[in-house]
Amino acid sequence: MSGLTKFKKMIICFLICSNCLLLSGCWDRVELNDLALVTGLGIDKKGKNTMLTVQLVVPKQLGGGMAMGGSNTKGGGATIIRTGTGAVMADAIRDLQEKIPRRLFWGHVKAVVFSEKVAKEGIRPYIDFLSRNPQMRLRSNMFICKGSAKNVLELSPPIEQSSAEVMRELSELQFLFRVTVKDALQMLAGSTQTAAIPLVQILPAQKGMSDLQTIAFIQRTAIFKKDRMIGSVNDKMSRGLLWIRNEVEQANITVSLKGAKGTITAAIIKMHTKLIPEYKNGKWKMIVKITSEDDVISNATNLSLYNKKHIHLAQKALADETANRIYAALHKVQKMKADVVGFGEAFHRKYPRQWNQVKDRWEDIFPNVEVTIKAKVNFRRPGMNTIPQGIPPEEVKK
Amino acid sequence: MIEKGKISAMQMALMMYPAIIATAILLVPAITAHHAGQDMWLSPIWASFSGFLAVYITLRLHHYYPQKTAIEYSEQIAGKFFGKIIGFVFLFFYLHADGIVVREYGEFIVGNFLMRTPPIFVMGTMVFICALAVRGGVEVIGRLAEMIVPVVTLVILIFVILLIPDMDATNMLPIMEKGIIPSIKGAVTPQSWFSEFFLMAFFLPYLANGENGKKWGIISVLAVFLTLFIINITVLFVLGGITANFVYPVMSAVRYISIADFLEHLEAFVMAVWVGGTFLKITVFYYVVALGTAQWLNLPDYRMLVFPLGFLLLVFSEWIAPSLMELSHLLATTVPFYLSSIQIVLPLILLLIAKFRNRNRMKDGQK
Repeated sequence: MSGLTKFKKMIICFLICSNCLLLSGCWDRVELNDLALVTGLGIDKKGKNTMLTVQLVVPKQLGGGMAMGGSNTKGGGATIIRTGTGAVMADAIRDLQEKIPRRLFWGHVKAVVFSEKVAKEGIRPYIDFLSRNPQMRLRSNMFICKGSAKNVLELSPPIEQSSAEVMRELSELQFLFRVTVKDALQMLAGSTQTAAIPLVQILPAQKGMSDLQTIAFIQRTAIFKKDRMIGSVNDKMSRGLLWIRNEVEQANITVSLKGAKGTITAAIIKMHTKLIPEYKNGKWKMIVKITSEDDVISNATNLSLYNKKHIHLAQKALADETANRIYAALHKVQKMKADVVGFGEAFHRKYPRQWNQVKDRWEDIFPNVEVTIKAKVNFRRPGMNTIPQGIPPEEVKK
Repeated sequence: MIEKGKISAMQMALMMYPAIIATAILLVPAITAHHAGQDMWLSPIWASFSGFLAVYITLRLHHYYPQKTAIEYSEQIAGKFFGKIIGFVFLFFYLHADGIVVREYGEFIVGNFLMRTPPIFVMGTMVFICALAVRGGVEVIGRLAEMIVPVVTLVILIFVILLIPDMDATNMLPIMEKGIIPSIKGAVTPQSWFSEFFLMAFFLPYLANGENGKKWGIISVLAVFLTLFIINITVLFVLGGITANFVYPVMSAVRYISIADFLEHLEAFVMAVWVGGTFLKITVFYYVVALGTAQWLNLPDYRMLVFPLGFLLLVFSEWIAPSLMELSHLLATTVPFYLSSIQIVLPLILLLIAKFRNRNRMKDGQK
């Protein structure tokens, strides 16, 4: 009897141990050294075909490598570029995979770059692929680029590890638009079906450096209607749009005051925009209410900002300047008939019934929306200086 | 009595919580969003009525037959023959429903993480572990719930907090653009999940402190309601109008988390904890089927039924639907009525008959 229990125990022991064999993983077991981590994805058109460019991380070997110098000057060597072509994106990926010994892993894509040509033909097929793939992240930042997306990803920037990382960092600074795949999906599916996506351009390389040792920076904003790019606006205009969208993180405004030489520059610490839609007798009106808190970062006038009068004067001038910038940007997009500032959504929220009647022809109504901008600027701190520096005290207007 | 273990009312509440939540955060938010749009946060409010109703019916029935589970008292209420038929309906239903749960689990794991692994393997290993837990009896399941549920709740809370920077509250406007109807339509599927509170009918007889059953039952419904409410509102705030476009909106939202560039890619963590919740859900259903079958067949023990039923469970999970699209369609159309007709309407009929019988009996007693 005891022999049997011993036998039983042995069987149980054996079964438990054999379980460990299964622990090594199942069909999806992938070792890190079998993966090719994609950090950047570029989409180009090559004739009728789609050309896909991926930026892959090269796992650095400890020691060695870098010390070789010489051969490394052409680039950091942290990333490599591969391209694949195919009728559609999935084909291009297959073509790409043929040239890479490791399995492509899409979980770390930081930047997705579309060439302007692709953007003008429509990004929907690509963006569907991006959001359908379970490895891809909705967090990846989206960019449009002038010229070919391949050229943008090819760059090996002097500071960051890869050009994709550079673009991501730049857009996280939020000087200009920051758009993730999720944001783009939301904008394109939203009530106005328009989108604004940052447009990057290659910065000319520093003298003495190779052409590739530079970065691509966000310079303009591409405006999309449905899924097609219809134009772009410059950085100043883009910031104007950001004001209305309540997305300004950093901005400086410079004004000159009446009756004083020189300029005053203020930096925004905090801002808030409120859209107040109004619908009366078939007329669409929008009041844009902006309040911001600023610090003075430069005062080249001879006015002391410890005087309430001068403060009011400067605040008023700054508010007017802000409003002017916004008007200019707004006129531009109104001319393009592209509501990327969220007026449609604001009307939809407040006047759902009226909105549903006109939503199909919003394109034609948007350019005629009467806009009033009410900007208010409050100074908080004067920086480190009390009165303007660098001039004799008697010339300062107290 | 077949089951000799005793659990506390709190343990029962903790078992019920993942038994509703675990799958209610997978495909259901997308279905709700599809119907309710930006009003999807209202839907859990309407849906929770179903939960309170189920708890009420269960408690009333328990009041009439305190020592008996649903299988046993349906025989007493409807007579030997019809009682057996009703019992069979319950058992078949819970086996089938558990099959759906196992399938949802398998689809989720295979669709998101283990793409090349055969689903039958993913589901099979899970059912095997659940079988072991079921063989352990009600006390073991109760203690497992005590262990796992606090962690699950905590993780859900943490991911909601981490998503706060990405939330946009204007996504919920305009509230009730098309009236109240869309949000009620959106509540149809979640309400059937709430009807699963009828599962309590199988645990109430084993409570050590039966008098607290009512209190903890209601607390459990409230907890589920709050969780679904918070999850729906989080998903809505993060994804807005495109919520319905994702198969697993909660998963898509969690994957979106990124705090300071290093606290990201958290889905594996959430996943691991979520598997714990699903394990409890499958186990609770599985236990009910095993125990109920033994009672239905008047067997002295249910343990020898566990593995054969597990095999049936796997087969059912394969049969449910040929593809994820069909499964989702099933959950959006048939399942709400299927679940609530068996877990609310049928018990309600039983309750009415029981009331009638007891009144007669009382009258007889008075004579």
